[in-house]
Amino acid sequence: MPWKLTCFLICGALVVAGGAAMAHHSFAMFDQQNLIDLEGVVKEFRYSAPHAFIILDVKQEDGTIETWILEGVSPSALTREGWSRETLNPGEQIKVKVAPLRSGAPGGWWTIDKVNFRDGRPVPGNP
Amino acid sequence: MLYRFSTGAVALVALTLAGAVAQAHDETKYPDLRGQWSRGKGGAQWDQSKPGGLRQEVPLTPEYQAIYEANIKAEFSGGEAYNPQAVCMPSGMPRMMIAYEPLEVIVTADVTYIRVDHMSEFRRIYTDGRSWPGKIDATFAGYSIGKWVDQDGDGRYDVLEVETRAVRGPHAYDHNGVPFHKDNQAVFKERIYLDKGNPDIMRDEITSIDNALTRPWMVTRTYYRNRNTSWYEHICVEDNHHVIIGKESYFLSPDGLLMPTRKDQPPPDLKFFSQARK
Repeated sequence: MPWKLTCFLICGALVVAGGAAMAHHSFAMFDQQNLIDLEGVVKEFRYSAPHAFIILDVKQEDGTIETWILEGVSPSALTREGWSRETLNPGEQIKVKVAPLRSGAPGGWWTIDKVNFRDGRPVPGNP
Repeated sequence: MLYRFSTGAVALVALTLAGAVAQAHDETKYPDLRGQWSRGKGGAQWDQSKPGGLRQEVPLTPEYQAIYEANIKAEFSGGEAYNPQAVCMPSGMPRMMIAYEPLEVIVTADVTYIRVDHMSEFRRIYTDGRSWPGKIDATFAGYSIGKWVDQDGDGRYDVLEVETRAVRGPHAYDHNGVPFHKDNQAVFKERIYLDKGNPDIMRDEITSIDNALTRPWMVTRTYYRNRNTSWYEHICVEDNHHVIIGKESYFLSPDGLLMPTRKDQPPPDLKFFSQARK
């Protein structure tokens, strides 16, 4: 097997395996090697199965709003970490580091330890 | 007289039934498996003792190794058509034992049930001494017959030995797409028991026997007990944003519009739609 293909398979397997710690689907569609920082206003927090979602309005440089959809772990996993469906509420401003969709579309993957309120309030499970 | 006889007969039947019920609920004969069983913080690869992907070192035949590598390659480029669970299909056996969500084990004399909230799945392991039926309609969970074993002879069962047949596809061992043979003839043998040194740890030695493998593949999965149970409803189709069309995987926007998951991904074929594309 050519070394490039070998590396692709092994390196790829490491990436997809490492990021998929909790889910029923692969996370390879999210670029976990190149995280990006987003700041915005929570439009909606969906505490729903199979995974919770933050719908985040992010202001662009030209003043327009781009709505991002950010997938997290399951509500049951969040609950075990001290979250509830009221942890995030519409209108609240947050900063979050996400693994963006590889396509460049406004979607991504977030984890508990990478979410912060802009006003400095602590987020459950986030040291 | 007739009344007396009837009363006696009723009493006898009642006593017999009471005895049967008492036997059915004789918990002292069985290990205490109550509570929530989680897989811990580890990954969701099939063999927990090894990293995911190719480092699972699955003993696949060359044909199925090639399929596995193709699945990983597809996954790395954002596709997961090999993974029906991404669109909320049942995990089936043996993947349901990964415990994406905690398991609940309910022991009765005739059947041990395993509730799997993830994908709302359910196993019945018959321990009533039945034989294999002549014909079994294949299901995702398969048909399981078990036998309780008292290994150390202390009068209490230690191990539940299980064999599962008639598991239907499509399915895979885990999200990396370790494949099963397409003939769907896989058989699984399990030994489920509590850790001798820590009764809050449960192990399941699962041996897969499948024509895609060069030899039986045994892994041991470990579960950790939480006695303060709190169960969550987990209905996968409630808000799943992963879509597979053909061999392409897409993601749904908040409004339910298709989003690409990789650069230059083609949209679905719309040939059955008459209106012009915008």
